[in-house]
Amino acid sequence: MNGRARTSRSSSDMTSRLPSRTVTLGRVQPQSPGHRTIFCNDRDANLLVKFRANSISTTKYHVLTFLPKGLFEQFRRVANLYFLMISILSSTPVSPVSPITNVLPLSIVLFVSLVKEAWEDWKRFQNDMAINNNSVEVLLGQRWERVPWKSLQVGDIVRVKQDGFFPADLLFLAGTNSDGVCYVETANLDGETNLKIRKALEKTWDYVTPEKASEFKGEVQCEQPNNSLYTFTGNLIIDKQTLPLSPNQLLLRGCSLRNTEYIVGAVIFTGHETKVMMNSMNVPSKRSTLEKKLDKLILILFCVLFSMCFIGAIGSGVFINRKYYYLGLRGPDLTPDMNPGNRFVVALLNMFTLITLYSPIIPISLYVSVEMIKFIQSTQYINNDLCMYHVETNTPALARTSNLNEELGQVEYIFSDKTGTLTRNLMEFFKCSIGGEIYGTGLTEIETGGAQKNGMKVDGVRKSSTAVHEKGFNFDDARLMQGAWRNEPNPDMCKEFFRCLAICHTVLPEGEESSERIRYQAASPDEAALVTAAKNFGFFFYRRTPTLVYVRESHTEKMGKVQDVPYEILNVLEFNSTRKRQSVVCRYPDGRLVLYCKGADSVIYERLVDGNNDIKKITREHLEQFGAAGLRTLCLAYRDLSSNAYESWNEKFIQAKSSLRDREQKLDEVAELIEKDLVLIGCTAIEDKLQEGVPSCIETLSRAGIKIWVLTGDKMETAINIAYACKLIDNNMKQFIISSETDDIREVESRGDQVEIARYMRDSVKNQLKKCHEEAQTYLSSSFGPKLALVIDGKCLMYALDPSLRFMLLNLSLNCSSVVCCRVSPLQKAQVTSLVRKGAGKITLSIGDGANDVSMIQAAHVGVGISGLEGMQAVMASDFAIAQFRFLKDLLLVHGRWSYLRICKVVTYFFYKNLTFTLTQFWYTFHTGFSGQRFYDDWFQSLYNVIFTALPVIMVGLFDKDVSASLSKKYPELYKEGIRNTFFKWRVVVTLALFSLYQSLVVYHFVVTSTSNSVDSSGKMFGLWDVSTMAFNCIVVTVNLRLLMMCNTITRWHQISVGGSILAWFLFALVYSGIYTPKGIYFVFYVLLSTAYFYVALLVVPVVALLGDFLFLGVQRWFFPYDYQIVQEIHRHEPETSTVGLLEMGSSLLTPEDARSFAIARLPREQSKHTGAAFDSPAYESFFASQAGVVTNQKPYDVVRRASMKSRPKNPHKD
Amino acid sequence: MDMVRMDGGSASAAVPEDQCVPTRRSNAIQQFTQQSLPSCKPVLSPASVITTFFLMGVICIPVGFVSLHASQSVVEIVDRYDTYCIPDPFKSNKVAYIKDSSIPKNCTLHLKVPKPMKSPIYVYYQLDNYYQNHRRYVKSKSDKQLIYGLKYNDTSLCKPEDSNKGLPIVPCGLIAWSLFNDTYSFSRGTVGLKVNRKNIAWKSDRDHKFGRHVYPFNFQNGTLIGGGKLDPNIPLSDQEDLVVWMRTAALPSFRKLYGRIEEDLDVEDVVTVKVLNNYNTYSFGGKKRLVLSTSSWLGGKNDFLGVAYLFVGSSSIFISLVFLLLHVKNPRTEEKESQGKNRRPCAARN
Repeated sequence: MNGRARTSRSSSDMTSRLPSRTVTLGRVQPQSPGHRTIFCNDRDANLLVKFRANSISTTKYHVLTFLPKGLFEQFRRVANLYFLMISILSSTPVSPVSPITNVLPLSIVLFVSLVKEAWEDWKRFQNDMAINNNSVEVLLGQRWERVPWKSLQVGDIVRVKQDGFFPADLLFLAGTNSDGVCYVETANLDGETNLKIRKALEKTWDYVTPEKASEFKGEVQCEQPNNSLYTFTGNLIIDKQTLPLSPNQLLLRGCSLRNTEYIVGAVIFTGHETKVMMNSMNVPSKRSTLEKKLDKLILILFCVLFSMCFIGAIGSGVFINRKYYYLGLRGPDLTPDMNPGNRFVVALLNMFTLITLYSPIIPISLYVSVEMIKFIQSTQYINNDLCMYHVETNTPALARTSNLNEELGQVEYIFSDKTGTLTRNLMEFFKCSIGGEIYGTGLTEIETGGAQKNGMKVDGVRKSSTAVHEKGFNFDDARLMQGAWRNEPNPDMCKEFFRCLAICHTVLPEGEESSERIRYQAASPDEAALVTAAKNFGFFFYRRTPTLVYVRESHTEKMGKVQDVPYEILNVLEFNSTRKRQSVVCRYPDGRLVLYCKGADSVIYERLVDGNNDIKKITREHLEQFGAAGLRTLCLAYRDLSSNAYESWNEKFIQAKSSLRDREQKLDEVAELIEKDLVLIGCTAIEDKLQEGVPSCIETLSRAGIKIWVLTGDKMETAINIAYACKLIDNNMKQFIISSETDDIREVESRGDQVEIARYMRDSVKNQLKKCHEEAQTYLSSSFGPKLALVIDGKCLMYALDPSLRFMLLNLSLNCSSVVCCRVSPLQKAQVTSLVRKGAGKITLSIGDGANDVSMIQAAHVGVGISGLEGMQAVMASDFAIAQFRFLKDLLLVHGRWSYLRICKVVTYFFYKNLTFTLTQFWYTFHTGFSGQRFYDDWFQSLYNVIFTALPVIMVGLFDKDVSASLSKKYPELYKEGIRNTFFKWRVVVTLALFSLYQSLVVYHFVVTSTSNSVDSSGKMFGLWDVSTMAFNCIVVTVNLRLLMMCNTITRWHQISVGGSILAWFLFALVYSGIYTPKGIYFVFYVLLSTAYFYVALLVVPVVALLGDFLFLGVQRWFFPYDYQIVQEIHRHEPETSTVGLLEMGSSLLTPEDARSFAIARLPREQSKHTGAAFDSPAYESFFASQAGVVTNQKPYDVVRRASMKSRPKNPHKD
Repeated sequence: MDMVRMDGGSASAAVPEDQCVPTRRSNAIQQFTQQSLPSCKPVLSPASVITTFFLMGVICIPVGFVSLHASQSVVEIVDRYDTYCIPDPFKSNKVAYIKDSSIPKNCTLHLKVPKPMKSPIYVYYQLDNYYQNHRRYVKSKSDKQLIYGLKYNDTSLCKPEDSNKGLPIVPCGLIAWSLFNDTYSFSRGTVGLKVNRKNIAWKSDRDHKFGRHVYPFNFQNGTLIGGGKLDPNIPLSDQEDLVVWMRTAALPSFRKLYGRIEEDLDVEDVVTVKVLNNYNTYSFGGKKRLVLSTSSWLGGKNDFLGVAYLFVGSSSIFISLVFLLLHVKNPRTEEKESQGKNRRPCAARN
């Protein structure tokens, strides 16, 4: 790398001018060959190369490009394009209708869509402006000057203060921390909230002050901008020295500075060339399956339209004849569409005529109406639902897209992350067993659930006065608290237990050294919980130096006595997944040498000293008991060491530690030598707290026919544990476990031949799959077989996802009621999701909270992010964000189901009303010699869709609900109707089409037949326009009344809109036919109103037309009811309980304060503002792809090193 | 309808008391966003279906009887004369007969009155298989010319009957050109029956669609004569035959009002009609009929509406009876419903 970077300057200048955007967004590309040269602190030198400015723009349109581009976008929709073509056709002479018929609806639709687009883009623009105008301090001359982000240039020296965001990708030069280190939070990038360390090159540490920094004249040669977040190569040439740069010196835009007063850095990549922006790409907008089916329906309508036109065209070709002399089919200037001499041309041209005539069969306002409905559904209902509002964190639900509302009502598979989604990622010390005695009186949620199931009454939370509840500690037993343990049968054992907790860990204390104020930084929350527990038991660990652990012990000698004891830490045998244990060798101040060890029961029990079988046996029982309660257990043990034995071991240890080859393995071997003959102290039980209401939510969802898969990066044991806790797996289920942690696989792995490992794994996975599959078949074939569950780990999954085995995996897993995948990488999560999505064709939903869930969230039909604690990554990639897993119940069972129901109704209704309308026109064609004469007036036809029948259907889309929200949750089985797509099956569509046919026939023929004679006592006859207005009148009334019959609930708005639509028609007819124009339609409506016939017919025609529908609906409801109809009738006489349902659901009543905070929460939020970068809709797929298969996180920081650093200023005179 | 039951009809019922929401407006918004707007739920329960059908029957049957009675009270005489009026030598070549203007087209019909007919007795002519609603035909007129006359001379829609010798034809277009020109004169016994030919068009047509000062000065002067001629001294608005003819019919079979006989006719009266059979329907196989009809409040003789009402009413009653029988025999209880509830999801699981 060094060598390459030292290539000649001249060539680098050239290459740096290469277009920098050779990187396809969202894909990992090989690094572009060129590299750029940046002259720090020298704007003139950088001017030669045109670097991009630091301003960003995420808008879709420009003022000038808006109209052409926006229109182009609109006409990419097939429906709009269709109507554009029809509009053009209708302005040609073949058209029987005036262009207004088609142009007016189209322009209304386009106008509405364009306004929406413009509004959205305006918001994006404002967002960009806010970001671009953030200010940052730049070195100008010898002073720091505040300038907006957008005027930042490559090569500038900037200063970023604590908690500030980096305005661009910076080269870290110097910071206020003495060792050239700064801490950054990358929550915006990857969702991890723990701090990352960045370290400047030693050479640049001094450039802190403006005076000094202005002297800095470095030259940076680095790679071209790319989207790989975790790689960076380059050189800093300073004072003719070439220093290699690594990601360690790079501060990425979007991250923020923590625990450092300020840093000084040089700008390397700006604006759209920053790594985070290169990672952002527009998420391909998802379309719901219902909408895709809708496309098919539209296609079918096209076919219907085409065949109707075809029939008409043939008819016209046959009909046209000179014998109808009154048609004047003669003369030299006879148009070809009426020339009997060439019937083929007549038919062909008539085809176009009829297409324009029948064009309303495609409902033009459908898409825009559905979009509007969905928009209101998501912004008004989902975002404001009090049932999904989390009071504690003041987080309402957020629908980030309105495309997928109805998809929520059809979800069949849920893929859930574990940590942070099912669990709170909050470990609490809950119980323990010391020397064969159980302490801790709490009940876990599983235990309460189990007890309730057995009919036992569970007391509410009953806390004794000694109960202490703080973060990581939820323990209640007076026997151990406040030194009371001294009176227990085994006080010495207790003491060892507590010391083990206080000493054997790698936790760092932070903040003040008082037990109230201290904060523990731990690699895992379990560790922090254990140390917190020790603190509460009177063994307060408050300070760590590289060699010492200070513990403030109370009550050890006698009650109330407090003493600070420094323990010398001689060796730390670290935790890793193969060892499954962690040990510390420490020396007491009195010289006693002890090894403390904590680890999984399986590894500890192997290493226990003989004897003491009682305790081992009792403790094992306790372990099982804890495990069944869903607690995470660890065994604690210790061993007294003799000084000689230790010294001789320590030599081997040092040797191993300094070895260069296979260090890890050698260390493990050495550790084995000392971790033996342990004395069991007891075990701890930590509750991995489930999020509130998770088990009941999962149970409800599975009753709703939804299958839930847990995909987690955790260990298999933990995953199974949580699966039990969530009631995903129970003991009655047959579990298939496909694991790579078998002895023979380990043996093959130890030989180290990658090819052989792969082959062996493949075969082994194949065999296991086959076995499971066969077994599953036998269970499935018997009717009373147990439910099945599959547990598979990431390594096996990697092979099982191979195309040859994929099908078997899919088959097996679809037959299982729960599936747990553990140790899976983000990419595998996405693969599993798309396996089900594509392979099984089912509708999937992914829910997760962290950056590692992003790919899964994007792969599923619906992505749900948990908003709140962890970073915003998952939320940014998701379609819906909720605060708690349990809100999924409301989101799916209430909003999803209703949306599905409503959209189905809206779509089918649109289909119905336009078909009915067009069919009457079609029947008329037969009576006009297939000439394509229009039946209805132009304005009637064009306003039919946009005025006379538009509003009521929107009301249905907004207000219709079959059963109340609480009943939806009480009867989750109702959800299955959505999974089965009951309301938008072809059968439903065909039924409706038949009714449409029937109604059009009734309306047309009734009106036509009944007007064949005079219609009042004056003996005058109706003309064409009188008849057609009458028919149109009947259609409008019928179609609007039909809507009321589809409604499950009728609100005032239904009445207003249906009544209003009919009224609007009457008013329009009155006004329109009253306007003084010498036109066919003039005065027609008044003539109609003056006849008795009008009123008699207006009563009977809609009644007859709707009689069939009414009969059908009545019979269907009576004899073949849908599930929801049964529920409706069971609860027919109960009042609406939606607010009562809220009170049942919510953890607390909504007090006025809560209501106010909720109101505040409803205010428009500026999410992007504080993230510092335009994360409007970024995807970090590339990031995950680059990490394909890599599960381990970056090691956040080196514990001991940080300890030394932290304590140095405080203890300058340490040994 | 009894099936409608109001839930949460008043706004206060839906909101618990502890949630004090100050104004009605925010209350309404709250109800909207929480989707708890007061609503009624029409449930098509068996009882309501039965009741609705029964009510429909109860309403429709009387209306049906009234309408049917009105229609039955109308006396109508229909006589097809197009073939009858062709002299035997021309039976094989009707078109030649009608086109030959030298042959007199006189013809006499004798109509027997079956029931007493009260005046006014309306005289219609009825044409069948005549496509007045053909796209080419319907648009072949100039609405503006009809009312403004030569002041408006864009007659492009009227092709091929748009102009003659450089002047626009008034009234232009195929509709006017093909004006029906059979005439009838009536007599009872030897006494002539007066036919009132005024006020046969809708008033709005006369007043607003045909000009008071527009005279058909060059009508039917072309090479091809389609139908009737007009008196060039009478403005269009008073040419009621034309006005009636130009309100194009909706269907290829239509009646048009010819005039009114303002005398009562008795049973067994024989009305003699002298027809001038001028109009050519023979070339396209159209039929011509003469209709004498009285009128009721519901217009001419048309049983359709009455029968439809009766049919709807009686079938509604029938359906409601069938449902009632089913309901009594096999009543649905809530218990059964809940059993059904339990049964269905299980069935669905398999």
